[in-house]
Amino acid sequence: MNLFKTKFNAATIVLIPACIGINYLGKMFASLLKLPLWLDSIGTCIGGCLGGPVIGAICGAANNLIYGFTAGDNITLIYALTSLGIGVAAGIMARLGFMKSFPKALLTAVVAGLVAVLISTPLNVIFWGGTTGNVWGDMVFAATQAAGMPVLLGSLLDEIVVDVPDKIITLIVVFFVLKGLPKKLTALYDANAKVERLD
Amino acid sequence: MPVIAVENLKYRYPHADALALDGLTFTVEKGEFIGIVGANGAGKSTLSQALIGLVPQFYNGAYGGRVLIDGLPAESTPISELCCKVGLVFQNPFNQLSGAKDNVYEEVAFGMQNLGVPRAEMHRRTENALKLLDIWQFRDRNPFDLSGGQMQRVAIASILVMEPDIIVLDEPTSQLDPQGSEEVFRTVDKLAHSGITILMIEQKIEKIAAYCDRILLLHQGHQIAFDTPQKVFSRPDLEQLGVQAPVFTRICRALGTTLPDGSYPVTVEEAANQLRRTSVLPPVSAQQEERPELFEIRNLEFSYRPGTPVLHGINLQLDARPTAIIGQNGAGKTTLVKLLKGLLRPTGPSIWFRGEDISHKTVAALAAQVGYVFQNPDDQIFRYNVLDEVMFGPLNIGMSEEQAREKSRAALALTGLSDQENSNPYDLELNERKMVAIASVLAMDPDVLILDEPTIAQDMMGRRRIADIVRTLSAQGKLVLAILHDMDFVAECFDRVVVMAQGQVVADGSPRQVFADSAALQAARLDPPHVTQLCTRLGYDGVFLTVEEFLDACGCQA
Amino acid sequence: MKSISLYVDNGSWLCRVHPFTKLAYIVTAISVPLIGGTLWLFAAFIALSLAVLASGHLLRRVTPLVAFSFTILITIFLIHGLFNQNNQTPLFQIGPLRFYQEGLLYALRIGCNVLNMLFSFAILVLSTKPSELVEELEKRGFSRRIGYIIISVFQIVPQMMGTMSTITDAQRSRGMETEGNLLTRAKAFLPLISPVVMSALINTRERAVALEVRGFAAKQKKTYLADRTPHRGDKPITIALLALIVLAAGWRIAQCL
Ligand SMILES: Nc1ncnc2c1ncn2[C@@H]1O[C@H](COP(=O)(O)OP(=O)(O)OP(=O)(O)O)[C@@H](O)[C@H]1O
Ligand SMILES: Nc1ncnc2c1ncn2[C@@H]1O[C@H](COP(=O)(O)OP(=O)(O)OP(=O)(O)O)[C@@H](O)[C@H]1O
Ligand SMILES: [Mg+2]
Ligand SMILES: [Mg+2]
Repeated sequence: MNLFKTKFNAATIVLIPACIGINYLGKMFASLLKLPLWLDSIGTCIGGCLGGPVIGAICGAANNLIYGFTAGDNITLIYALTSLGIGVAAGIMARLGFMKSFPKALLTAVVAGLVAVLISTPLNVIFWGGTTGNVWGDMVFAATQAAGMPVLLGSLLDEIVVDVPDKIITLIVVFFVLKGLPKKLTALYDANAKVERLD
Repeated sequence: MPVIAVENLKYRYPHADALALDGLTFTVEKGEFIGIVGANGAGKSTLSQALIGLVPQFYNGAYGGRVLIDGLPAESTPISELCCKVGLVFQNPFNQLSGAKDNVYEEVAFGMQNLGVPRAEMHRRTENALKLLDIWQFRDRNPFDLSGGQMQRVAIASILVMEPDIIVLDEPTSQLDPQGSEEVFRTVDKLAHSGITILMIEQKIEKIAAYCDRILLLHQGHQIAFDTPQKVFSRPDLEQLGVQAPVFTRICRALGTTLPDGSYPVTVEEAANQLRRTSVLPPVSAQQEERPELFEIRNLEFSYRPGTPVLHGINLQLDARPTAIIGQNGAGKTTLVKLLKGLLRPTGPSIWFRGEDISHKTVAALAAQVGYVFQNPDDQIFRYNVLDEVMFGPLNIGMSEEQAREKSRAALALTGLSDQENSNPYDLELNERKMVAIASVLAMDPDVLILDEPTIAQDMMGRRRIADIVRTLSAQGKLVLAILHDMDFVAECFDRVVVMAQGQVVADGSPRQVFADSAALQAARLDPPHVTQLCTRLGYDGVFLTVEEFLDACGCQA
Repeated sequence: MKSISLYVDNGSWLCRVHPFTKLAYIVTAISVPLIGGTLWLFAAFIALSLAVLASGHLLRRVTPLVAFSFTILITIFLIHGLFNQNNQTPLFQIGPLRFYQEGLLYALRIGCNVLNMLFSFAILVLSTKPSELVEELEKRGFSRRIGYIIISVFQIVPQMMGTMSTITDAQRSRGMETEGNLLTRAKAFLPLISPVVMSALINTRERAVALEVRGFAAKQKKTYLADRTPHRGDKPITIALLALIVLAAGWRIAQCL
């Protein structure tokens, strides 16, 4: 099985904006209820799980680029790389069968969370001197700096505190959404589907 | 050479057990107008998608036989190439929009842009199509804010402008007012005469019979017949195949009137020519029983956007007689029932339910008494299992788990969905989803049941089932209020008819009174029921509403 | 339906400037100070951006954007002013909190960079219709699939909000209380998420078919309904902007030699 095999047909093209819309909704939900989470990668993960790692990557990167370039939120622009990583991670894990059961989905969540941490930390350090903009995470960062720890380590902890729980909640949502999707729809994204001849 | 040649076409959807199409073989010549009829699930939509290559290229699955479009195999020619030759209008207009354009004008032009039509030509075609379908005045509106019928017109226009040689229309008039659908048929017929090949899937049998050269009859994926309307609709086994013959054919069959070749007439002209005028007593109106008043509407005004009022000073009392609301597209029918349900708020106190002003009540508080089934069932479904979906309402209004389950099972039985209890509603077909939506409101046992275009996408069985629901509920003393575009159905099932045009009530009375009021019908772009039309042609006095009524008067059993 | 795009056609000259010119400005405004590496270059470009925004009558609409990134900037000033590893020279003290010069200077640099980016992007975002930007990109050979994705996001978000209110309507119709105090409304919000997400995904199937039958994947060269009249400043401004980058790079190299 080729992990990165991708179909670029209308079905996958249309999936991408839908996923970006879902990301937006999640983010709005988190900020409306003042949750200490981002919840802005639900769509990216769905895209990855349905369309594979490449579609996941496009969903993630396009999400940040589009909002950055057109909605005035240029802070997110920098994190296009992170979103891309999350999409790829979710896509690969799903192709490896790690979205089939609830415990496996939790593992996917941890992987996606760690990928996000690994990519975001250097970005945080370069652009923000280590903070993330999330109140809870930044309190951790402030504490590490007060204790004299190196910036990189502080920023890493800052990200872990925010990203891992966030991805766990995200992938729980994704898991239940995918479980409820009708077969008629999921059949469209099967990258290995072929037309069988009847005669 | 035929423009369409289908040879032993077989198809099975992925993960499905049964063949959706099984051994279809037929050819269509240039400029023919072909009707495709059959019960729900017969494979009509699947066939339409096979003609443009979506089956199998988009859906995958298992495919056999051949479809040649102008000599090109539909199985392997890219859809982007086929779509210059074949245009497809879908069954559900809510989903036909490209999602890339924010006004009707650009939406209609979207396909031409992709095909590289020159700019001046694009403007010309767009303007023509919008005017032809009577939506020119909505050109700057967001397509998602239109009424159901207006959206369907946009869907048709957006395919017409691409000027394909073959046009396949999948129930394109299901949400149009009667004169609107007549216009669509006339337009399409004109295209057929100019050499464009038309294939039209329809449940409006009388129209199909009047316009089509040949009829393809499908049943459970099999091709039953491909012949002239007269031959196909004269088949004695038609009802077993889930298709009802046109009203005129049913009458002629009962009266034993045939055409020279032994088949029965299918259009109003043929029937009027063959039937001999006998003396028939005009129908008498049955005494209407008194029913308690439920809604009182006084001076109701409403607008979505300031400056463009949608309803102008509506005055209406509704009692528990089964009542139909009919009228042109965009007249404000859906808006009116949403106001009754409390989903929209009038500007001042103007609606009273059982003497109480509803403007201070929440929708949820009214839910137990007033049930509303949406025009688009997809707006209403949000559970992963049919039984859960149906039980959602009853549980919300405080029924016990036991009682909710019992009521839900009863509602599912009434809608014919008992064996689908554990299906995912999203996996069902449009007609079944519509039934799920009805069942989920029925289960709440409301005193008022509002149905917004319940007969869309239903075949003969489905329409009979809905007629049964209307009768059962009214026999229990409940108000059934339905918005409909099917006049035969209105005449058959309803005791009272309210006619709306341009935000106003233009007629209100028993079906017999309303269908005699030709000025009001004209204002609301409606036609009388088919039997009424036939009897008017034959010069009989009075308004006959149903086939049974007319046959009774002729002294004959249906 | 409310759009998520911040563009409003206010008739100013900025709305008529070609999107590519604005893109070139963004590139210049961000890269020149970074190449030059001095604080006053940031200040100069911030001032320039503000002047451009003011002349396009857009100043008032930038405020919410600034407010949005303000919290993040404050955190940066607090954390670095107090705890930066290089802190040595105390500058001032508020209560028990002692702020250091090095940290504050570092935070100032980040802050200037952020504001500079924000204002230069604001020029594009507030004065350009997204579909116009995409059309221009497509005309220069940008993939129409990517173009579709971008435009469609702008349609889909308001549409999802619409679905959300329709589904709320459907749930209210079936007896779920969604009006009332904050708790009731918050409780009503949860059961909404999954159906909205589901319906967005399910609609993709039919949407994809709709695109197929309307020639979305066709090979022909696409045509457009409208042609934009070029602004006469487009060309010279773009050239000047790109020249500035070259100049900055040259100056920096010369400095290093
Ligand atoms: N995407 C799909 N995946 C699996 N099965 C499908 C799919 N679409 C349709 N079917 C099944 O194929 C059969 C034929 O369906 P089709 O939609 O062609 O019927 P139809 O004649 O158009 O019916 P209707 O009058 O309800 O529109 C049905 O049994 C249906 O359940
Ligand atoms: N959400 C909305 N925003 C703005 N205008 C709307 C909205 N919904 C409907 N309208 C407009 O209000 C008018 C009445 O619409 P309504 O949906 O009540 O018509 P209708 O009688 O149900 O038509 P149809 O038979 O086509 O369903 C139409 O002109 C429609 O375009
Ligand atoms: Mg169909
Ligand atoms: Mg309506």
